Amino acid sequence: MRFLNALRDGVGFDILLVGAALLFLVALAGAPLVYNVLMSFQQVDMFTLGALFRPFVGFDNYVAVVRQPEFWLVTRNTLIFVFGSMTGQFVLGFALALFFAQNFPGAATIRGLFLVSWVMPGLVVGGIWSLILAGDYGVLNVILRSLGIIQANVFWKSDPAFSIWAVVIANIWLGLAFNMLLLSVGLAAIPRDLYEAAELDGANAFQRFWTITLPMMRPTIGAVLSLGLIGTLQQFDLFPALTEGGPANTSNVAGFWSWQLSFQLYDFAKGATVSVMMFLLVLFASVIYVRSTRHEVRG
Amino acid sequence: MSAEPQIELIGIDKYYGSFHALKDINLTIPKGQFVALVGPSGCGKSTLLRSLAGLENISGGTMKIAGALMNGVPPRKRDVAMVFQSYALYPHMTVEQNLTYSLRLKGVPKEEMRRATEEVARTIGLDNLLHRYPRELSGGQRQRVAMGRAIIRHPKAFLFDEPLSNLDAALRVHMRKEIRALHDRLGATSVYVTHDQIEAMTMADHVVVMRDGVIEQQGSPLDLYDRPATRFVAGFIGSPAMNFIPARIGPDGASTVFDRPDIRSLPIGKKLDPGREVIVGLRPEHIAVGAADGAGMTLKVAVVESTGSLTYLTTEEPLQLTIVMTGRTELAPGDAVQVSVPSAHVHIFDAETERAL
Amino acid sequence: MTRTYTPWFLLAVALGLAAIYLFPVYWMYVTSVKSGSEIFSNPPTFWPADPNIGVFGDVWARRAMPTYLWNSVVIAGGVTAITVVLGTGCAYVLARYRNVWIDIGLFCVLMLQVLPASVMVTPLFVGFNQIGLLNYPRTAVVLAAAAKAMPFFVVLVRATFMSVPRELEESALVDGNSRVGAFFSIVLPLARNGILVCAILTFMSAFGEYIYSKSIIQSPVLQPASVGLSGFLGPNSTDWNSIMAYSAIYVTPILAIFVILQRRIVAGLTSGALK
Repeated sequence: MRFLNALRDGVGFDILLVGAALLFLVALAGAPLVYNVLMSFQQVDMFTLGALFRPFVGFDNYVAVVRQPEFWLVTRNTLIFVFGSMTGQFVLGFALALFFAQNFPGAATIRGLFLVSWVMPGLVVGGIWSLILAGDYGVLNVILRSLGIIQANVFWKSDPAFSIWAVVIANIWLGLAFNMLLLSVGLAAIPRDLYEAAELDGANAFQRFWTITLPMMRPTIGAVLSLGLIGTLQQFDLFPALTEGGPANTSNVAGFWSWQLSFQLYDFAKGATVSVMMFLLVLFASVIYVRSTRHEVRG
Repeated sequence: MSAEPQIELIGIDKYYGSFHALKDINLTIPKGQFVALVGPSGCGKSTLLRSLAGLENISGGTMKIAGALMNGVPPRKRDVAMVFQSYALYPHMTVEQNLTYSLRLKGVPKEEMRRATEEVARTIGLDNLLHRYPRELSGGQRQRVAMGRAIIRHPKAFLFDEPLSNLDAALRVHMRKEIRALHDRLGATSVYVTHDQIEAMTMADHVVVMRDGVIEQQGSPLDLYDRPATRFVAGFIGSPAMNFIPARIGPDGASTVFDRPDIRSLPIGKKLDPGREVIVGLRPEHIAVGAADGAGMTLKVAVVESTGSLTYLTTEEPLQLTIVMTGRTELAPGDAVQVSVPSAHVHIFDAETERAL
Repeated sequence: MTRTYTPWFLLAVALGLAAIYLFPVYWMYVTSVKSGSEIFSNPPTFWPADPNIGVFGDVWARRAMPTYLWNSVVIAGGVTAITVVLGTGCAYVLARYRNVWIDIGLFCVLMLQVLPASVMVTPLFVGFNQIGLLNYPRTAVVLAAAAKAMPFFVVLVRATFMSVPRELEESALVDGNSRVGAFFSIVLPLARNGILVCAILTFMSAFGEYIYSKSIIQSPVLQPASVGLSGFLGPNSTDWNSIMAYSAIYVTPILAIFVILQRRIVAGLTSGALK
């Protein structure tokens, strides 16, 4: 009776609501995460896959992963992929956000259309870019040649020097719109009269950008960059659609490699090990994210 | 006024973590009384009201409404109505649905509900707005709906949380009278929170002045005005605010000596220990200008402000006083004026405790 | 003088930018109806010489798209249902209070929001294998994807709840309602639009879910459309008009919903995404 009353009128209701969701998340996200760390210290193969207790091997998996010939290549690619994508998404996104912050008919609607890229399945986006980036008949090469930027066709997907950039280009397209939207929200929150005051004080457009827009956008920029980092680390679907990490792992990144180890080579221990390493990277990013959104979260 | 208590608060304490928001609140409200809780923001008046409604849990003490113990009772079982500062009208419901929300929850029959709605709508003048949504109403109309939603229930008590602070000045004065008239007509028991002492003074039978979670003083409005128990109450009640001057009791024990030799002493009309450090309080409206009895002091005018009916004088150092005169004056800044205060209107507070002496 | 021209000039630039940006989408539709030889022609044609609409029906039947799409709908529906039912309550509580426990809860949710699916898929697969869930692969994918979708949903819906004034709920309590009653009769109706937008977004992203389905569902009759597409899509694909026709059939419903609800979706995102 007391229990039912608390459920109807007291904190029991809150605890029930939040408890159900948290239980679910703990079971399907928290527990697997811990389990993942556990597996990275175990010997897991086809024979012990179903077993609850497996032999512990200490740091053997980690040593083995680092000794893999492709380890440093994958690390390099992951960094290129993350920073290339983030830079592209942010710079282009900011430029578009500034452009659409101007007052003209249809600005909001046209800006909204950009988000089409964000709601499309990653695999489809990868497929479309695979076609656009094709070496001999890809439309991007045709456009670049006619603009005189390149002389000969670039084999984006199969040239080891470009394969990772092919995925970066597709990923920039995919994430650009969301970056722009978030930055637009930040821009819209800057009070108009600040600009008017600065204009009266004699600041030109460039000075207004540096002295008002950028400082006022600091929290937004922090959040956008860290969300971009997280989003890029989460990107998976583009890889199977575009390059499958090839040729010769020149476009492979940690997330896809981990999946390949687990689900193509059935080496779940190494797959888990790589994903633990990647998780540490994500953890680092999310600490920045949480710090940059902290006051907004509270506000 | 019947003596039967409708609301009883005995030793109420409220903590937010380590913050002591309400400290040993004792308050008894007889049936039919209009009580105003007044004080600066953060004094605990809203917390006290919300505790009465059951929206906050009290940490200690006893709370009774109509004789029934209310500790731990959820809001819906308290049978009190509340008018919020923001009105809290349900935006997805029409005026009629807003008014009848509580009746529908109680399962009141349709016919009875319709009658109650008509009656309330007539009472508060909303007859032709019943099918509008809150967003289509003016501020004053919304305020009326909030009132209507409260009175339709015939609750054990009405709780008002600064209900007039979102209205413009003229409407505020008008609604003041209307709320009080409604209270009298319904024979209701009301608790009214406000930070505006004029609202409290004009509307309430009983005013409770709060500060830092403590009741500083309670009593009838004129009681508080005439006999403030502390310097805080004296400064809070009355407008413009009372003048305060640090002083010492003179050797005769019946007058004050100011630190400045150029200010003459002031008879206080009572006997106190000579040499005691005190604060003298003088209400601006009690200071007479151009007194002839010779007991006054001569001060220099610094600022003259006139509202037409009243004139506010501010005097220059060494004694900066605000003075209110009725009518107009020929005085100009720089002029010397003779001022005096009848000893009955001199308030003396202890310099240390700030309590009235 | 310039004042009157500027907006129209900006509009023209904006349309140009949108055209460039949305070119890949256009290219998908155009390529799908081109003939095989036209796709590989040099220079490429920006408008199909001989549109072949029949390719859609052909791909629809040959690639067993009804089965795949149905599975996508089932999975996305399941994910959305779990996310909305569990996530809404959680978001409400996280919006309503402000104390150290709520901060911890919110921190956990934010942390879970950042976990890449590629990190989670290995332990989930092994764990599901151990408890036998792999025998119900679609259920397993729904559970895994719901856990992935929920944090984002909670963060957005929480912002919606925070825009519902607390006093409305308190007023309902004083008017005689219980916490449960006030939640359903006052708070939920007022947050409905925001919740709906977030539910649609959840559905859209679950509709395109790939990695969990690819790793967990082995049987083709249970696989969603994304896995179906991956079957003939790779670095060396050449069957472009089928791929693009398949993609077009797959994404057109999503794009249609998005364009119709664009205004609301953007509004829902902008009010919640960063605040």
